[in-house]
Amino acid sequence: MIVTDLIRHEWKKSIRSQGFYKNLAVNTLLGFMTLYMAAILLFLGFSLDNMLEKAHSEYTPMELFNGALLYIMLGGLAIRFFMQQLNTINLPPYQVLPIKRRLLVNFLLIKPLFNPINYFHLFVVVPFAIQSVSKYYGVGVAVRFILLCVILVWSNSLLAAYFKRKFSSGFWGFLFIVILFVTLTALEYFKILSLFTISKVAFGFIVKTFYGLLIPVLVLVGAYFLNIIFFYKNFYPESFNSKITTQQKYQSDWSFLKRFGIIGEIIGVELKLILRHKRTKSILYMSGFFLFYGLIFYSNAAYADRPGFLFFVAMFVTGLLMLMFGQWVISWDSGHFDSLMTKNIPIRTYLEANYYMLLTFNVLCFVLTSPYFLFGIHVFYMHIAAFIFNSGVNIFLLLYLATYNTKRIDLSKSSAMNYQGTTFKSFLIVLPIMFVPIMTIYGITMISSMKVALLVLTFLGLLGIVFRKQLITICVKQFNNRKYALAEGFRKTE
Amino acid sequence: MITLSNLQKTYSGVTVLDIPELTIKSGESFGLVGNNGAGKTTFFRLILDLIESSAGEILVDDIKVVRNDSWKTTVGSFLDEGFLIDFLTPEEYFSFVGKLYNKTQGDIDAFLESFKDFFNTEILGTKKLIRDFSKGNQKKIGIAAALLGDPKILILDEPFTALDPSSQIRLKRFLNDLHTRFQITMLISSHDLNHVTEVCKRIVILEKGKVVKDLTTGDDTLKELEAYFAV
Repeated sequence: MIVTDLIRHEWKKSIRSQGFYKNLAVNTLLGFMTLYMAAILLFLGFSLDNMLEKAHSEYTPMELFNGALLYIMLGGLAIRFFMQQLNTINLPPYQVLPIKRRLLVNFLLIKPLFNPINYFHLFVVVPFAIQSVSKYYGVGVAVRFILLCVILVWSNSLLAAYFKRKFSSGFWGFLFIVILFVTLTALEYFKILSLFTISKVAFGFIVKTFYGLLIPVLVLVGAYFLNIIFFYKNFYPESFNSKITTQQKYQSDWSFLKRFGIIGEIIGVELKLILRHKRTKSILYMSGFFLFYGLIFYSNAAYADRPGFLFFVAMFVTGLLMLMFGQWVISWDSGHFDSLMTKNIPIRTYLEANYYMLLTFNVLCFVLTSPYFLFGIHVFYMHIAAFIFNSGVNIFLLLYLATYNTKRIDLSKSSAMNYQGTTFKSFLIVLPIMFVPIMTIYGITMISSMKVALLVLTFLGLLGIVFRKQLITICVKQFNNRKYALAEGFRKTE
Repeated sequence: MITLSNLQKTYSGVTVLDIPELTIKSGESFGLVGNNGAGKTTFFRLILDLIESSAGEILVDDIKVVRNDSWKTTVGSFLDEGFLIDFLTPEEYFSFVGKLYNKTQGDIDAFLESFKDFFNTEILGTKKLIRDFSKGNQKKIGIAAALLGDPKILILDEPFTALDPSSQIRLKRFLNDLHTRFQITMLISSHDLNHVTEVCKRIVILEKGKVVKDLTTGDDTLKELEAYFAV
């Protein structure tokens, strides 16, 4: 059977990709994270009935769940639109072989449905159906309820793939979805149009009537044929590995950077790198979300007496872009590393360019997070200390430790949740950067006060800024020692 | 001038390059031939300080290349696509490289003007990113960028491969012209014995990492090379 051959090829592709075994540590860690997630979801599944019973509402738990289901589905679709990786088997070698086009397309469409992540929701849905739905409505409805959820996830997966192939997930798509959600929430809030009621009635009808499930099945079939029609029209690889975007015309003006000489030129190239690759762009979008991280903690009184944790938050939001990009600050250049190493760029200039870029990121993040000052003067002090510590200490730690990330990063591939190029070292690097300052804060606050702790960190940061020339020299030496390991690692494509 | 002494490169016990002594004089056009795996690219990467030698050293203008930046001002090189910055347009790339060698935009424009025939209207003004060009056109961009800094030493790895016939002929003429006009030192590897004998005055055959023949190009060189590689 050809299908089994295709599956076998896919398996070999993942097993034989370089670094699969080398990366066993990372894969194991990710495996544990997955188990952890599963456990949390299972816990949620068993307690959901209880939680919804306590909601003081005229509705039954299932009705409440159904009311939220449309939101969950839309939210899921949005997340998938940005996060889900398109299943692309490398088509050209198969296209020239006598394999039916239909088979390839079906393979491409249906394979993602077998991804375990599509069945994680069952950890919540099944316990809830058994505990709650069957209690109120009987076993038949409970079974249909579970089936409904499975079919919805399948439809979502197919729809997301279709939208993703049709409209590549760029900035405008992002904006559109944000606006859509804000509008829907506003309509609900002002009771103009309640999606909750629509969702409750519609899904209630579907699970309570015997043939009701036909409706989501129709949606699923519809989504499937949308994809089929899309592939029917765009079978050729250039139209479907969403290469269309790369043909767009590029012309941008970065002349303001030219004033800073070669360092400015290099930063200009790095910024273009960030803006012209999927992976780096999605990191930018994610950073946009993470800027709001502080809202959760600064507004919550429960964290007020946990200074170390609050400082962690301050360091995270004020150094967001530096922390997101800094660790791979050399690896981003892996594709053209040989070019940078053989052209007339002294290593010192190269590292200085990266230093100033990260510094600019820090200033930008500090300014962007300044509205947090509204939470009080203590936030202002913390942000100042965090900003200076990031710019004086962490920045050099990142520059120094980035030389240990020797894996080539494929910038063109997929987007969020992409662990390619991540090794066990990448996790180790985070430890000194994040935990040393937190421990310092905890330690000093215990014997003295938070103010003293912040002063100490600020002082360390200032030392780093004052002695930046010497610190860069240390980084240059380290870079020169690691240069060959880097060049060799970057030449290996996965 | 490039001097190699006792140069060795081993990968997990296997010696891939072993050159006791070799000097490439200033202004020499040096051709490197050898089958796949002979060590040609390793040789170039060592000179460009992209890999570390297991033993021995390389001097460019009497300065060791290891962990040094100074040779970068005089050496222009293009080995493979890794030497390009593929998310830039050709213009952006040339402008970036030009600035690194202290060229003004006017210098760069004049330089590109002289490449007009070689580029054949396909490269400049298209606003495409380098990664969207064909292999042949990428090679042209890389070769041009290698020359942009007025190098005294030029290193090209298989420059003729993937070029169309007209471009191959143009490149040959161009390299010969460069050599006679500016006495540029050229290190060129090639699988095409015809081309390499036409461009290089000295030809070295590498086999399994060792120099097996060191010829001065004459009328019989092509025949000698063909005889050597005949199976």
